[in-house]
Amino acid sequence: MSGELLKMSNISKSFFGVKVLDDAELSVRSGEVHILLGENGAGKSSLIKVLSGAYRCDSGSIFLEGRPLADMTPRKALAEGISVIYQEFNLLPELPVYENIFLGKEPAGRLFLDHKKAREQAAHYMKKVGLELDPSTLVRDLTVAQKQLVEIAKSISNRVRILVLDEPTAALTDKETGKLFEVIRELREEGIGIIYISHRMREFFEIGDRCTVMRDGRTVAQLDIRDTDEDELTRLMVGRKVHAKRKGNPHLKQEQVLLRVDSLSCRNCSDISFVLHRGEVLGITGLIGSGKDEVARCIMGILKENTGHVEFMGREHAGTPEGNIGSGLVYLSDDRKDEGLIQMHSVRDNFALPNLKRLAAPLLSRKRVEKATKEYVEKLKIKTHSTETEVQKLSGGNQQKLVIAKWLYSGADVYIFNEPTRGIDVGAREEIYEIMEEILAGGASILMVTSDLQELLQLSDRILVMKDGRVRREWNNNGTLDEQMILAAAM
Amino acid sequence: MEYILTGVREFRQKNLGGMVLYLGVAAIFLAMTLICQAYGKDFLTVTNIFNIITQASIVAIIAIGASLIILTGGIDLAPGSVVGFVGIVGGLALKSGVPLWAVVLLCLAAGVISGVISGLFVSYGKVPAFIVTLGMMQILRGGAMVLCGGIAVSGFPSELKLLMNAKLFGRMPISVFYVAVLYIAICFVMKYTRFGRRVYALGGNIKAARLSGIAVNRELIKVYALGGLFAAIGGVMMLARLSYADPNAGSGYEMQAIAAAVIGGISLSGGKGNIANTLVGALILSMLTCGLQIMNMPTFYQSIISGLVIVLAVFADKHDERHQE
Repeated sequence: MSGELLKMSNISKSFFGVKVLDDAELSVRSGEVHILLGENGAGKSSLIKVLSGAYRCDSGSIFLEGRPLADMTPRKALAEGISVIYQEFNLLPELPVYENIFLGKEPAGRLFLDHKKAREQAAHYMKKVGLELDPSTLVRDLTVAQKQLVEIAKSISNRVRILVLDEPTAALTDKETGKLFEVIRELREEGIGIIYISHRMREFFEIGDRCTVMRDGRTVAQLDIRDTDEDELTRLMVGRKVHAKRKGNPHLKQEQVLLRVDSLSCRNCSDISFVLHRGEVLGITGLIGSGKDEVARCIMGILKENTGHVEFMGREHAGTPEGNIGSGLVYLSDDRKDEGLIQMHSVRDNFALPNLKRLAAPLLSRKRVEKATKEYVEKLKIKTHSTETEVQKLSGGNQQKLVIAKWLYSGADVYIFNEPTRGIDVGAREEIYEIMEEILAGGASILMVTSDLQELLQLSDRILVMKDGRVRREWNNNGTLDEQMILAAAM
Repeated sequence: MEYILTGVREFRQKNLGGMVLYLGVAAIFLAMTLICQAYGKDFLTVTNIFNIITQASIVAIIAIGASLIILTGGIDLAPGSVVGFVGIVGGLALKSGVPLWAVVLLCLAAGVISGVISGLFVSYGKVPAFIVTLGMMQILRGGAMVLCGGIAVSGFPSELKLLMNAKLFGRMPISVFYVAVLYIAICFVMKYTRFGRRVYALGGNIKAARLSGIAVNRELIKVYALGGLFAAIGGVMMLARLSYADPNAGSGYEMQAIAAAVIGGISLSGGKGNIANTLVGALILSMLTCGLQIMNMPTFYQSIISGLVIVLAVFADKHDERHQE
């Protein structure tokens, strides 16, 4: 560890009079992994966007090795060796790995591209990140983890000095995460400053050196990871105490079965059987590719089942999502952006969409829709300027609450939550858990697909662990289970 | 205070598109008035205004269908050919002595059927709308030629002409009435019915629409059927106006309809826009044509100017997006 590589001081930025960054600070040493954490909307991504030149800050200064950087643009940031790897990769799937690495800076011969040289150089960078592949492989054939390594190799080839990783492990298995951490450690050895953004507390202690905590656009603390613990970080992030675990479930009615899945097989899963009782939370977990998503999508009629039955309220379920929704079985997708909400439409339009039948009498009146939307926005404490605000302007937590709101109004009997709190900060997470509790109190049931083991243990009455498309274990969550046991069954 | 400011901003952003459009109309109106005055003629007369609407009427009505389809994120290249095809079908039926009311129904049915077929391919068939309607465009144009042997059909009963020639209240051309009724109807449907809201959802994000319980394929077919219906209404109007059936009638109308929708601010990527403004778009195009005719400008110039207007209209509309970057 050596001197200060990057210093951002007094960074402020407002959008439409709302401060998203308020005198934010960040300083990164060369050869350290610097964790940047905070709830959604705390200003982490805005700060990174200022660094990468995507946003222009209203005031404040950025120094790289003591040299001031002014008027940043994305191009300039790249030239200075500042590289950001977002969750959505910036790769061209139809091109081979080596062309992706050299995109925009192809090593040229006199007139034409020198593909041989490019492949050799690419292989060199790929080796550095532990990517053992033919450089001519097409990017679309790679796994998520491999694509991420290609992004890192691309950054190294740009002579990266500051590497920003935004939730790099969100879609990785534990093994892949381990491998990524090895690569990160090697980059750290080479003196690169790494800014690491994540919601996964445990990773901080495994990989981090120092951390900066943000809240409401400000930097609230800069700490040495060794001198802190989860409780302190959570407290700094939230600014208040986080709820304790839920105990017992007074709403559970064992004698009433709402959903019965009987030897169901579909793409990637086979011979799945379980029941869901009234007032119950059944948690399903498993690694990526274990088939847990497919089970949920198949019950919903989004995927076609090959064999087996799904019975909802004593009847065979419908084969289409609209059919199932009509009978009171609803699905809250893990992909809010693409499947949960229509981003370009208003809060009100999104709220009304699945409830048009109920809201129309028989014609839609704006007043009636507005009244219902307002009621639920207030009930679920959705932070939005008005019901006309476009959904894309809401934070992740508020978007998820809106998804829940629209289904809550529809009065469903079974709610299938896929990753109910993925990418959502601690505060909003607790609020969503409270809403789920209310759903149960209202006599409905929840089928929860999640890869967050803490959440699984905190909310589920029963737990199914899936692996390779089959149910491996089924447990009653009676307080004796822990994360290790579940992981062991899933791996 | 900040809260109020955000509100004002939001209002401005939402209504800027419309404002730009109306300012554009006012500017063109003013320019036309001034230019015509310089030529010693009056632009702003009731006759001229009725002329503008009458000239715009067929494209304006076809553009309702085009707007609906564009709102779902699709595109319709067929309506020009629907006009030609329906004209021939209607013309041949009239000649063989079918009563006029039945001919009109037959024409509308033909339009709806062509729309349903396109809709089936787009929704269940997953073929891109551009391809399906490109095919439909050529098939219907060819079909019209085959039916009439490439020669225009004429010699119709005079009552046909009344469909376009009749005047209401002494001087209002009946086509103005058609335009008004159909636009009021579609605006009502878009705002107050479930179908209208679903059309926006389809274009906004079809995956989310499906997971919100919308039978997306069924709704898409309805939209394409309406596209065919409005094109067929345009076809009947064309037949009545010409009072002969030309297999080439309506060629190029699909592009004018798309242009009207786009000038009116309907987003080509779907999900956004107000169909009432499509009428404004159609009127802008027709206003230019009328004004230039008054000035005795050759039609070549009209084409150049409407081309410029299309690009500039969308350019002005994207003002906000440019400034956000």
